[in-house]
Formats: sequence, C-alpha cells, structure tokens
Amino acid sequence: MKIKENSLKNHDRRTFIKKVLKGTISGSLLLVIPAGADVGKPEVGNGPMKGKQFVFIVDVTRCIGCGSCCVADKREYQVPDGYYRTWVERYIKDIDDEVFVDSPNGGVDGYQEPRTDLKRPVRDTFFIPKLCNMCQKPSCVQVCPVGATFRSPDGFVLIDHERCVGCAYCIQACPYSVRFLHPVSKTAGKCTWCYHRVRKGLLPVCVEVCPVKARKFGDMNDKSSEVYKLLSGPGVITVLKKEMGNKPSLFYKDARREVV
Amino acid sequence: MQSSYNSHVKRIVLAIILFGLVGFATKTFLTPDSFGMYGHYRGDAIDDEAAREMRHMGNSSCLPCHGYEAEAHQKGEHATISCEFCHGPNGDHAKDGKKIGVLAVKEGEEIKVLCLRCHNKAIQARPGEMIKTVAMPEHLEQKKVKTTHLCNQCHYVHAPLKYIKRAEEISGVKGGDS
Repeated sequence: MKIKENSLKNHDRRTFIKKVLKGTISGSLLLVIPAGADVGKPEVGNGPMKGKQFVFIVDVTRCIGCGSCCVADKREYQVPDGYYRTWVERYIKDIDDEVFVDSPNGGVDGYQEPRTDLKRPVRDTFFIPKLCNMCQKPSCVQVCPVGATFRSPDGFVLIDHERCVGCAYCIQACPYSVRFLHPVSKTAGKCTWCYHRVRKGLLPVCVEVCPVKARKFGDMNDKSSEVYKLLSGPGVITVLKKEMGNKPSLFYKDARREVV
Repeated sequence: MQSSYNSHVKRIVLAIILFGLVGFATKTFLTPDSFGMYGHYRGDAIDDEAAREMRHMGNSSCLPCHGYEAEAHQKGEHATISCEFCHGPNGDHAKDGKKIGVLAVKEGEEIKVLCLRCHNKAIQARPGEMIKTVAMPEHLEQKKVKTTHLCNQCHYVHAPLKYIKRAEEISGVKGGDS
C-alpha cells in the first residue's frame, strides 16, 4: 500500500498540469522561432534578379487590341494553335450596360471586324490583355502533388517540365485560367513573364513589341521605374479576382468594374 | 529446429530495418539533386527555364543589316512597332550572326489586313489619342483613289507619312487630315 501512495503523490494534478503547460509552451516556441528554413539558401541567378520585385501593369486605356503581344508570344514559345499563354479579350458594353466578352482565336489574328450580333447600341468597348498573374500566394503551386510548379525566390511562378506529370490539378486551381496542358509535352504550360529574357536583363517579349506601351514591366524596388510611379501614384489600379486572395503581381490600370 | 522465444520479434525488427533501407535508397535515387534547394521543388528547374532559347531579339538586332529600313522606321510614325511583329522572329532568320532562313514579306491583301489590325476605325475601341484610325473604303474614296488600292501604294510601311509629307512639300498641296 505504501508504494501506491507514493506513486499517487508523484502524479498529482499539480505536476500533471505543470508538465502539460511546459510541453505546450516549448512546443509552440518551435513554431514561433524560425528553425533556419531560409538560412543558407543560395541566391538565384545573378545581376538582374538581385533585390528586385517585379510587377506587371496593363494600361487598359492604351490597349488598341492589335494582338502584337499574342503574336510575339506565340512565336517566342512556338505555342500550338488553340493554346494561349497570353490573350486579349474584347469587352463590349451596350446601352443597357449588358457586357459582351469575346476573344476570337485569343486575339492572335487581331480584331478585324466589329461585332454584328449585338441588338442594342454599343456604349463602350475596350480590350483587356490577360496573362499569368504571378500570384504571391499561388493556388496552382499549392495543389501540385509532385512539386513541379513553384514560386521561385525571385517571385516567378514557373513549371518544371521534367517533373510535371500532367495531372492538370494546377489548371483547375488557377483562378485566372492561364494554364493549359501542352498537347505535345503533355505537361502544364503557362505564361512565365518571359523569365528567360528577364534573367538576361531584357523585357518580356509582349512588353517589348507593344506599340502603344499598354504593357509595362518593371521593378517595384526601383523608385525611378515607371511601374513604381504608377503603383505609388494616384489613379485606379486593380487586380483581377481580389477576393480569391492570391495576391497577384499583375495590375490593371483604369480597368472598368466589369472586368473579371 | 526449435525457434527461440523472441524470434518473431527479431524477424519484425529486421523487416522494418530492411524496409527502411530500401525506402531510403529508393528515395535518394529518385529525388533530383537540387530538390529542396529553395523549397519543395527542383532548384535546377529555375535555371532550365532561364536557359530557354530567345527567339525575339528586338529592333536593335535588325539595324546592323537592314540599315535603310531601320533608319526610316526610327524616324517615322511607326517607330514603336516591333520589326518582328510584321516580319517574324529573329530566331527564324538569323543565328550567331548568320542567316538561317528568309522571313516572308507581306504582299497584296496581307498588307491591308496587317494595317487594319491597328488602324481600323470600325472597331470602336481604339482611343484616338493612341492611334489614328481610318474607315475603309471611305478613306480611299476621300483621297480620290481606287477602292482596290492597297495601303502601301501611298504609305511607305516603315514610315507611313514619309513620301506623303515629301509630296506635300514638293507640290505645295495639302492632302488634308486622315
């Protein structure tokens, strides 16, 4: 009987609670104190990428819907017909504020003809170029089961075509529908903001060929850049589907509220 | 043979160790070297993407060989247009300073289609301050030329107003706006 009393004494309620508290506190400290996850990681690239935060701005008021960007993109990446890394949508608002959106062949052939199937007079027409939003919290990366898509340390969401198994989860996860399954490689494809050009210090090809400077690309950490001036100044700047919480790095200047 | 009292435990422990070793070896073998370098992905994939071949080299790359067109282009109203948009990418034309292919020159109706991609007034979405647009065939009628005329019969494509301005200077007659 003596032994049993002793063991009861050692395991009374007080010591039990103390132990639980100690465990909880030390356990949660592990979560709070960074465990060296980002320490000692090598720097990506050199020169052009160091200390930069790239953003893309589309100035809706400047776009004339010529489709230069779509043509250049298709040629740069030899994208098969019917697939689009970037495309231009035409928005038409009629007198009753009903919105009609079309994008024949993704805008690759330009917009040669006005729409003839609308019953009421047109109030407003404008073009919206679309491309990868380079989300800071990309849902496509979150769903990839094999680690084939990722957000690189320099902020680009890219695809590893060697690891991609073509399951197409990312295509479903992207709120902006910028991804597609490449018919030849059978891996996911999407706009990369011309990562291979940016690494060489050049502009993405769509920005380079835009004749009216509707597409702008630059470094937000460079206070003299045009993108910094646009994003830090007044004016209407929006992102697509803000409520999705993906935090896109693609911004639209002066886009109407109908644009989604 | 009589098995010892703990042989079943030994067998299980051995199986677990073997399973672990095989699993670890397979994982090491199948995981790419650079996996986990920056995160849960293959770090070398970043360099793979960066190593992609560039096919557009920009207007400055056309200048050394096509000096006449390039100079007219830079002085004219079409200065902001990419050469490669109308002609095709550098990647299909030159490599390491050598010509590897001929880019097709737009002819006939193709020219008109190309011009109207930007200059068609019928598409009422082109801000006037951004671009000058014309309605066809009203523009041709107004200029008193045949409606079968192609744009490049009056407009030099690289600098659309070059010869028109010149003609106005010489003749002293203004062609009027649009």
